[in-house]
Amino acid sequence: MTDVQVRPGPGLVAADGVPPPIRRRRKWRRGFTAWLFMLPLIAVNVLVVVGPSIATIYYSMTDWTGLGPASFIGLDNYRHAFADSAFREALIHNFEWLGLFLVVPGALGLLGSYLLSQIKRFQILFRTIFFIPYVIASVVNAAVWQNLLSPTTGIGPHVGINTAFFGNPSTSLMSVNFVVDWHWWGFLAVIFLAAMQSVDPELYDAAKVDGAGRWQQYRYITLPGIRPTLVFLGLMTVIWSLKSFDYVFIITKGGPAGSSEVVTTLMYREAFNEYRAGYAASLGLSLAFATAIVLAIYEILRRRRGWES
Amino acid sequence: MTTSISRRGFLAGTGLTALGLALPTSLLTACSSGGGGDLKLWMDIMGTANQKYFDDKVVAQFQKDTKLKLNTTYYQGQDLRRLIQTALQAKSGPDIVRGASATQTLAWSQAHLLADLSEYEKKYGWSDKLLTWAINAFTQDGKLWAMPMRVDTMLLYYNKTLFGQKGWKLPTNKDELEALAEEAHGNGIIPFGATNVDWTAGPEWLMTVFWNHYSGPDALYQALTGQVQWTDPVFVEAVELIKTYFDKGWFGGGTDKYFSVPSQQMGASFGAGKVAMFPQGEWWMSAVGAFFGKKANNSNQWDWAPFPALQDGVAFPLYELGIGGSLGINAASKNKDHAAEFLNWYYTNRQQALQRMADVPATYNLPIQFSDADIPSGIDPRSKRLLTALNKAVDDGNYGYVTWTWWPPKSDVFVYQGLEKVLTGKMTPKDYCAQLNTTFQQESKTGALPQIIKRGSTQ
Repeated sequence: MTDVQVRPGPGLVAADGVPPPIRRRRKWRRGFTAWLFMLPLIAVNVLVVVGPSIATIYYSMTDWTGLGPASFIGLDNYRHAFADSAFREALIHNFEWLGLFLVVPGALGLLGSYLLSQIKRFQILFRTIFFIPYVIASVVNAAVWQNLLSPTTGIGPHVGINTAFFGNPSTSLMSVNFVVDWHWWGFLAVIFLAAMQSVDPELYDAAKVDGAGRWQQYRYITLPGIRPTLVFLGLMTVIWSLKSFDYVFIITKGGPAGSSEVVTTLMYREAFNEYRAGYAASLGLSLAFATAIVLAIYEILRRRRGWES
Repeated sequence: MTTSISRRGFLAGTGLTALGLALPTSLLTACSSGGGGDLKLWMDIMGTANQKYFDDKVVAQFQKDTKLKLNTTYYQGQDLRRLIQTALQAKSGPDIVRGASATQTLAWSQAHLLADLSEYEKKYGWSDKLLTWAINAFTQDGKLWAMPMRVDTMLLYYNKTLFGQKGWKLPTNKDELEALAEEAHGNGIIPFGATNVDWTAGPEWLMTVFWNHYSGPDALYQALTGQVQWTDPVFVEAVELIKTYFDKGWFGGGTDKYFSVPSQQMGASFGAGKVAMFPQGEWWMSAVGAFFGKKANNSNQWDWAPFPALQDGVAFPLYELGIGGSLGINAASKNKDHAAEFLNWYYTNRQQALQRMADVPATYNLPIQFSDADIPSGIDPRSKRLLTALNKAVDDGNYGYVTWTWWPPKSDVFVYQGLEKVLTGKMTPKDYCAQLNTTFQQESKTGALPQIIKRGSTQ
């Protein structure tokens, strides 16, 4: 057998002169090292996200009470959820909440940011004031508004309004949503203002030369200029609306008589009061499914209409 | 700049990272298992003064007497049950388990989350020292699962000063109660203070009162033992009556205010004379004083009375009986013997137990056997009157049933959640009772009912 020495040709040797097997080994080693670095994070993720998610899917198909063993019951919980008027009512409340939460703080945030952009003096002061509700803990905000809207010691009795906003089934959901809107709109205003300040001022100058009024400048320059921010916060608002829990739980606990119940508070009640943890898991997954549908629609619209460009 | 790392260095770093992840986990496991050493207890005592009393008179005294260490953590009442339940399910949590109702405790025992106390009961002779009906409520299939924590009843608190000023007499029957409520309401005074803002289960207190004092304890006993249905008119009428009172604005100033005025504000109105009476549990005796006297910037006084009979044939005075919570032992505890030692110390150290009853009104009313003569001097006379009244009620057979002890868990939850729907007009009293009946029948088949205290004179 002839000992043939193969000289590496141009296609077999890289520009750096390293033979392919060594390059492959180095590449594999780099990849391996990267995976090893990621391994702890993946392990944590599997432990705290993937594991509980799989467990939730499993428990949603059981009659688990939250105590002791669980028996597999297939899709019974989901069938029950479709027929459950409490779940339907809570889901409708979630969508009402979503509508209000998209429109009210968004509109106030846009108005507030526009007004702030028009002033130079005290702008930082007003930005700080607008931002304060956002940094205050939800329990504190809730307590403040519970007192302000109290039918006995709040503002109402002093101005002749004798309404128990949180205690009346027809106003409870709106009232809690009002508190959340109050907490949220200042944050939006500050974020929108930051986005507005990144819009090229020459566009406004050009528009003025063309005779554009303030509304036209706002409509055709400001809003398109901050569209990526609007779209992103809109997306986040959808997600936060559907998983809202804290203010409802603190202020009304979903009452009176379920009038301010949202799916998350219903889940809590089912799991810890009614001893139906399996059913609560199915409600959680149903809500996640509903959220996914809303987000998919949002994403389709965003892509088709080029909202982020 | 590129930093290179040797293979050995990388492996060492990975090892340390893994150790870093593993160490907290193992520490958490060690902390939660409660193995050996200190006993752990989670309690729902609120307020600095009340917690200090428990620390001084229970924790410190127990440690002094037994040389065992007891670590106590305090939680808000409604949070505690959820936290303990989650911890028990994870084979973790405190050694000594502060349970909620009797039916709740039995649900935990059926899930094997609580230790069987029967051996300890024999060893320490607890049945001879505690009230039989209270021990029985936590005994199922001959096994004791927890110790009854506090004797509960419902009382009608009233602003004594306001009653004196108006010349009102304490009502003993429905006609007198309604006449008084009419007059108070006409004078711009809320007849009955009530709110469920801080305690969503609050409506069950009212249902307990109306079913006992309108439907009567005999009817309740029959329903709880399956002899009659909850759809019986006598139960529906009681719900209709409570709805009528709410519609008239007698409770809390109206339905919407009942759901929105916090208990502190309602209590302040009671102390200020804007609320005449307050149906509440005996446990409120330790808190109601904050709304009266110098602390509340008024010179008013409070007192309590038994709730009037709301129908002919219902005894007066009548006290509904129940147990406010329980103390058991975590099945996963490695300190069961020491935990039992704590229970034995807490329940059988008679003088200390009676002194706690005397020191803090109604909070430490253990279901232990004692005569009126055993009650320590220096006790608030209103608190003493309660103790003697309850002893007499048990002797005479004039007792009823509180929902949070004798109703199974889901039925109990429905009692207060369903009543919200009735009060807001989303459900009729008839439908409410029908739905309660369905839930109750389903639960009673699963053995979720405690041994109920029978009718007649007992101990």
